[in-house]
Amino acid sequence: MKILVVDDFSTMRRIVRNLLVELGFSNPMIQEADDGHNALAMLKANAFDMVVTDWNMPNMTGIELLQAIRAEPKLKGLPVLMVTAENNREQIIAAAQAGVNGYIVKPFTANTLKEKLDKIFERLAASGASA
Amino acid sequence: MSATMTVAFDEGLPPEVLDLLNSKDGTAFEQALDAMVRQREQHLFRALGVLARDLHGAVSRLGSDLANEGVPDSMADARNHLAEVLEMSSKAAHRSLDFVDRIRPEAEALSNNANAVLDFNSSETDPAAVLARQAQVFASACCEGLNDMVLVQSWQDLAGQRVKKVVGFIESVESSLLELVRLTGALAGREAPVEVAKVNSQDEVDRLLSEFGF
Repeated sequence: MKILVVDDFSTMRRIVRNLLVELGFSNPMIQEADDGHNALAMLKANAFDMVVTDWNMPNMTGIELLQAIRAEPKLKGLPVLMVTAENNREQIIAAAQAGVNGYIVKPFTANTLKEKLDKIFERLAASGASA
Repeated sequence: MSATMTVAFDEGLPPEVLDLLNSKDGTAFEQALDAMVRQREQHLFRALGVLARDLHGAVSRLGSDLANEGVPDSMADARNHLAEVLEMSSKAAHRSLDFVDRIRPEAEALSNNANAVLDFNSSETDPAAVLARQAQVFASACCEGLNDMVLVQSWQDLAGQRVKKVVGFIESVESSLLELVRLTGALAGREAPVEVAKVNSQDEVDRLLSEFGF
């Protein structure tokens, strides 16, 4: 499974990568982008199976990236997990309305990440089965 | 009709205005009105002039502080200090993550080696087997601790985001102040320089300020 981790802080990208590897995902299949703009270019150029993105980033924020993904016919079905320090009710609602698949508030634990990922894959499997 | 107008105008109006309002000479009325408006405008412009001079004086003092490189409290310094904090904390977090990357394979290797010993010798009393079991417990505790250590490094991201917000705030205050300097310079009769949307370095700050002789 090819995953794109998007965060402007290299520390956070490394932490998320580390946790994903611990959860059994393949390290070489995880790629990184430091803002939404670069992430979108990478998503358009290569096929990914999932995006884990921060909210607050320069150039293009996480919510803008999510909106851009949902607006792009080739990418609109891509699961997006938001991992962010933004915990305002309005922002969470905005992400939900934009079609986010999961929302994790930092700081988080490996268990929370696992839970949300499991839920995303369960839902995807269910929608895939019903389709 | 004219009686009603007189009643409506007579409160709070000087007698000469009332006379004019009631006068039949339209030209005299208009001239007097123009003179009154001009007088009011002059008062307003004088007040604005005083305000602009005061503002310019205050901003001149602030401008010279801003341009004075090396003043510990200057905003450029504050911004640089925060950028350094960001960089140092990032380096520290990466060093911790490097440490985890280095130690984790060793803990896993220790666990595998202990398993190999126990496959060969699972005695409850043999010192080698006892040590192997202890090594397994240690390796497992190590891996758990290392995972926690990775998660804990997210402090850098959270603290860093707050620092970035403060840096952004300082930048906006700095640009507003410089805009104020530019504006008051223009008000004081100097030609306004080309607008600087964002000032990124002390050199730019100095250059902009120097255009006004600060």
